[in-house]
Amino acid sequence: MISERIKSNLSESFTESLLPKLGVAILICIVLFAIFAPILATHDPTRTGYYDDSGQPYPPTGTSYETQISQDGEITEVAIEPSDEHLLGTNTVGQDVYSRFLYGARVSLVVGILGVLMALAIGVPLGLVAGYYGGRVDDVLMRNADVMLAFPALVLALALIGVFGESPVFVPDPIVYVDSFLDIGVADGMPTAIPIPGTVTIVAALVTWVWFARIARGEALSLRSEEYVKAAKSFGTPDRSILWRHVLPNSVTPIIVLATIQVAVIILLEASLAYLGFSGTTLSWGYEIERGQDVLRTRPWVAVVPGIGIMLTVIGVNLIGDWLRDALDPNVDNSTRGA
Amino acid sequence: MSIAKFLTKRLLQGIFVLWGVVTILFGLRAVSPGDPATLMLGEGASRELIQQVREAEGLNDPVYIQYADYVQGLLVGDLGYSWRSERDVALMVIERIPATLELALAATVVAMVIAIPLGVISATRRDTPADYSATLFSLLGISTPNFWLGLMLILVLGVWAGLFPTGRRPVGLGPAVLTLAETGSISELTTWIHYIALPAVTLGTYFTALITRLTRSGMIDELGKPYVTATEAKGLPELLVRYKHVLRNTMIPIVTVLGLQLGTLMGGAVITETVFNWPGLGQRLIDALDARDWPLMQGIIVFIAVAFVAINIAVDAVYSYVDPEVALE
Repeated sequence: MISERIKSNLSESFTESLLPKLGVAILICIVLFAIFAPILATHDPTRTGYYDDSGQPYPPTGTSYETQISQDGEITEVAIEPSDEHLLGTNTVGQDVYSRFLYGARVSLVVGILGVLMALAIGVPLGLVAGYYGGRVDDVLMRNADVMLAFPALVLALALIGVFGESPVFVPDPIVYVDSFLDIGVADGMPTAIPIPGTVTIVAALVTWVWFARIARGEALSLRSEEYVKAAKSFGTPDRSILWRHVLPNSVTPIIVLATIQVAVIILLEASLAYLGFSGTTLSWGYEIERGQDVLRTRPWVAVVPGIGIMLTVIGVNLIGDWLRDALDPNVDNSTRGA
Repeated sequence: MSIAKFLTKRLLQGIFVLWGVVTILFGLRAVSPGDPATLMLGEGASRELIQQVREAEGLNDPVYIQYADYVQGLLVGDLGYSWRSERDVALMVIERIPATLELALAATVVAMVIAIPLGVISATRRDTPADYSATLFSLLGISTPNFWLGLMLILVLGVWAGLFPTGRRPVGLGPAVLTLAETGSISELTTWIHYIALPAVTLGTYFTALITRLTRSGMIDELGKPYVTATEAKGLPELLVRYKHVLRNTMIPIVTVLGLQLGTLMGGAVITETVFNWPGLGQRLIDALDARDWPLMQGIIVFIAVAFVAINIAVDAVYSYVDPEVALE
């Protein structure tokens, strides 16, 4: 599975080069942001608020927004500049940009990782079976794979979301839960559940599984003529256990490399869908960028901050992907970077 | 297998793919929530009116009849009528093709012109500052979401530096060229270039980065082959070897990948058009989705699929001409 040679390759290229270290460092930071968002955040990321021109909370504490606005009429100023109270300012509905940056990391990472796991679960078994048996099974699968690869993933995703809706799934926030009886420093009023865009995650898997099927098929195709597979077959080992115990473990490295690259691809896909308004959660970096677009000239931070979040996360994942690819398997190349 | 036979086979496969796309789209529409007649008429419409429209549109027919009608319509180029604007969908698609085509071609040109020299320099001067910069650039390029890049370009080069216009473009390439032909004035053409520059860079950056990476790794592989040493030993000029022989051999896998990534280019166009308010097919697709205007949405997606299949068959035809072994495989 993972041989000694591969391990030494990995550690050698890690110590020799700066880029893998940078990638791991960036990603650790983002993962920590995501996990400890409720502790690191200064405000409830979903709480809207309005501010007057001098940056004072509006309406003053004690009065409701509705009663105040009916007295004063229209409010002109909403997004406020970075200040001590709001480190990175607020967005157009008065939500804290810094806190939303932290929570946005959760959505990106969860969709990226869950999407890839689902794609693996669909693509790898199909690919292994197609490659191992060959013939008509293989023809049917690869013909379908060609159609899927050919079709613009974003367009397909949009069509599927148009039909199935966005269906966000609310997952209880483990940190807030632990805090409820251990007091680990979560401020009052943090959301107790986080929304994960359900349809987007499934759609991401549906539009990326073919890459895994292709890789797994190729591996199975070359492994099925190996001596040890033939030997196992001659002992009467059932095909299922040959695939599970001999073919799969020996195909693992290219699949891991591809999985890493696809995390980056899916994070970008989620961001694009959220930007277009089809994500199902507003706690997403892509959605936040869309909101910042209207005030780009006057309040650039609203769009700039979440964009940096996406970019750093994807750079981190890509650097690790490049490191794994160079150390493990030169056969997975940039051509598998589609979405 | 002869080339003609190979191409016939690809053509049949292409038709099969299109049939698949059309059927999947029809299926999605059939299971999608919302009554089309209500969508067309608005919530307040009377029951009789809705019933009348359902009858007229064939919505009361069994699903297989609706499917047959739809496919029959497609075969003669009838994409139906938009639910919202009640205009002919085929017309609504056709009028948006030039803008998207201009954008996609401009992005491809940007990508090729920057990426190939950059990849060559990077590969031939490995581990120099030039190589590191190119590597960093391509890492940023594949990691930046293109809609955000577009907004940053608007902000920095458009708003702050004032170098490029940021509004909706006033003139397309076709009318601009016509003006040039009629009056000899290039002012409209310069306006067109000014407006397409930022969208083209936005859409092209990802591909620039991707092709730079591919060119670099391909060139490095190729430079290590014995024939390179042999030609150099013969005393052929280094530049000639690099550009005539090595680069040419590197291009084959690059073109293959570009074919595979065509879908990404189209998806990117949808996003880029939204950012820049670009009057293309992608923007119209998003509008159609927002309005749940199924005939328009289906029409655009079917068109994209047809374009895709056609381009791929064309690429295969070129391939089988350049490298007959492909057809024989």
